[in-house]
Amino acid sequence: MKRNAAAGIVLAALVVAVLACLPLVVKKDSTINLLVLVLLYVVLASSWNMIGGYAGQSNLGHAAFFGIGSLVTRLLWIQGWPFVASLAVGVASAIALALLIGFPAFKLRGVYFAIGTLALAQILNVTVGNLLPEMSYNPALADYQLLPRYYLFLALAVLTIAAAYAVVHSRLGLGLMAVRGQEDAAESLGVSALKHKLIALVFSASFAGLAGGAFAYYHVSYYLNMPFHPTWTFDPMMMAYIGGAGTVIGPIVGSVFFVLIKELLVLNVGEYHLVIFGALFILVVLFLPGGLVEAWDKTRRALQRWMRSRHRSPVGTEVR
Amino acid sequence: MLESVSQTLILGVLVGALYALVALGLSLVFGVTKFLNVAHGELLMFGGYASFWVFSLLGLDPFLTIPTTLIGLTLIGAILYQLVFVRMVKLPEEAKIKNTLLVGFGLSVILQNLALRFWSADDRGITASYSSMAFTVLGVRLPLVRLASLLTALVFLLALHLFLRKTYTGKAIRATVQDWEAATLMGIDIHRVYFLAFVLGAALAGVAGTLVAVNYSIEPSMGLNWTLKALIVMVLGGLGSITGTLVGGLLLGLTESITSLLLSSNYREVVGLVLFVLILIFRPQGLFGTKEG
Amino acid sequence: MLSLQGIDASYQDIQALWGVSMEIQEGELVALIGPNGAGKTTTLRVISGLLKPSGGAVRFLSHDLHREPAHRIVALGISQVPESGRVFTGMSVLENLELGAFISSARRERSATLKWVFGIFPRLEERAGQMAGTLSGGERQMLAIGRALMAKPKLLMLDEPSFGLAPILVDQTFEMVAKINQQGVTVLLVEQNIRAALEMATRAYLLENGRIVGQGSGKELLSFESVRSAYLA
Repeated sequence: MKRNAAAGIVLAALVVAVLACLPLVVKKDSTINLLVLVLLYVVLASSWNMIGGYAGQSNLGHAAFFGIGSLVTRLLWIQGWPFVASLAVGVASAIALALLIGFPAFKLRGVYFAIGTLALAQILNVTVGNLLPEMSYNPALADYQLLPRYYLFLALAVLTIAAAYAVVHSRLGLGLMAVRGQEDAAESLGVSALKHKLIALVFSASFAGLAGGAFAYYHVSYYLNMPFHPTWTFDPMMMAYIGGAGTVIGPIVGSVFFVLIKELLVLNVGEYHLVIFGALFILVVLFLPGGLVEAWDKTRRALQRWMRSRHRSPVGTEVR
Repeated sequence: MLESVSQTLILGVLVGALYALVALGLSLVFGVTKFLNVAHGELLMFGGYASFWVFSLLGLDPFLTIPTTLIGLTLIGAILYQLVFVRMVKLPEEAKIKNTLLVGFGLSVILQNLALRFWSADDRGITASYSSMAFTVLGVRLPLVRLASLLTALVFLLALHLFLRKTYTGKAIRATVQDWEAATLMGIDIHRVYFLAFVLGAALAGVAGTLVAVNYSIEPSMGLNWTLKALIVMVLGGLGSITGTLVGGLLLGLTESITSLLLSSNYREVVGLVLFVLILIFRPQGLFGTKEG
Repeated sequence: MLSLQGIDASYQDIQALWGVSMEIQEGELVALIGPNGAGKTTTLRVISGLLKPSGGAVRFLSHDLHREPAHRIVALGISQVPESGRVFTGMSVLENLELGAFISSARRERSATLKWVFGIFPRLEERAGQMAGTLSGGERQMLAIGRALMAKPKLLMLDEPSFGLAPILVDQTFEMVAKINQQGVTVLLVEQNIRAALEMATRAYLLENGRIVGQGSGKELLSFESVRSAYLA
């Protein structure tokens, strides 16, 4: 087991190194932008997974954290604040929102929580759209540089995945699994469900908020209420599920898969990628709850068994 | 001033009846099968488009397109049930609600994007020859289209009520809601009941879609808002009675109208959602508590 | 008429019945007795199709019941009055009875059947328009039995019809069950009230821990040593 973990980390470091060096080799802006999109989705899907996958609480209001993070960051930054400070306040807002929502929302069990968070996010979506309907323009347009933004997203993605990994392998992670499985049973064992769910939500919100801040930094001009749109909840949710909810790699797999399919199809058939993705999502929910990660595991194990059976000697002992 | 208040209240009632019809299908489906089909709004959207195209291509009066919508959405509902929802019938209740919610979202994404491909993102609306006509009674303006929609909504509410009360099939549905095992012991095929409820729900969504197309406009991403409206009405009016759904719809319609008058029409959307969240938090048994009778 | 052959049944991973075999001839009143948790209700659920057995067979007339869906079994002629009746509380007495006649064979003749049922339970006719939820316990039990009769069953199964009833109602209930049997309906009676059940029964089976441990005529089992000491002392 330890060997696998070490191997995994080495592999991850390799991938990050490749991605970090990529801009030296690839000069096309369109490719970099595509990677930014993937990295953004990785952060969003992975952060959703913290509350939706690990803790099993389907949060349908994830866009609210993304939105608040981007809104606050953007407004402060345009006012003249240094970006890092704006980002910090943006994340803090997302965390504050999580705590604000969390206490009442977690009184709601299961599906109530889902539709409650959905309603809350929509409230924010509409209200921000009402109060700040104008397009937001970046005054520093002339100095726009893509690469810093790329590295920001890369750093965020690495941070998010590292945090996800740490959570899963910690006592918090165990507690979350207990709460996900059987909340009442967990409570009776002394696992405070509310505390665990709140912590998971705060983690989830902070990374979504970070993504929002990065989004605000990245886009030249956009409508301020755009990041609050429900699609920023549903797409990452589908990515996490299809990749494998509850795993660390799942959201990565799902995000890459999503953008891949989108690019492939746009070349050929037009905007059907979401239709296909939606269908895949349904298939996963119905038949393969562990997503592509589970499918891969099953295939790998089946292959291993098949290999071992082929190497059996006539006397019945294994031959390597 | 008085006129403005009564105008507001009347409009609230007119809209409220429409909201009740929107919620009726989802309330029926959820009450019977415990499927939380959040693609309900997308079914409504398809109903609207069906009416729009029949209206545009054949020149039929929008209210006469309703049979098309009914048939079309019955078919779509049947297909969706057999393809997807039938696989979740045997799940325990909590898993059933959660999984149908997720699957519903998947469906809503699919249906939204199909509509986008087929019909583009443009807003469409049905403008009948009489769309700007109105009665004026005691200083209150009653648009003809709104009145006709009120009538249509009431007709369908009544029809469903009579169906559930007076027909054997309707009683079988009510029995299934109360105690499905006891219903099975009467010889009632629960699977058929589920199928029927789902298909009826889809058909009702379709009719609501027609009314929305006539009174407002339709575009591919409208579904979520209307699904939320249905959920709000269900929470306001409680599950399990058509009267409750009507009351819930009227409450929502009136609340929105009054908010529009007092604050601004921008906040119409929000007030319903806020009410929804408040009720979810403070009402002890909420939306999904066991219903008696 | 009805025969269970080596029925095994489980709830998820917990086995409840082991090799249960029973026979019921037409016109009999057969009692299935045993302590709490023995598996009596489970046996009824298997016959009614609410629970599929993991082994064995249920044959009714010429049909294999274990292959049929539950709602078809009602149409084949078996009605069950479940534990505590489970009437539809949100519907009137009359609506409950009408639903009892849901299957097409019964629906055609429901007016006549209704008269028959009201004949056995005049109180139900008095309360025809009342909501079932407002009835007393004894009346609900009556309604549940009447409702099952509306299907004109060949075999009527009752799951502890006397449960929770006042003693005088218990006697009345058993009288009615006996009367129904005399009118030609085969009856399978599950009861914890051992004495009353055995006194009425043509034959009886004793079920303990999911296994049949005794069978015979009502009188025989009444004198059966273990029955007396365990249940009648």
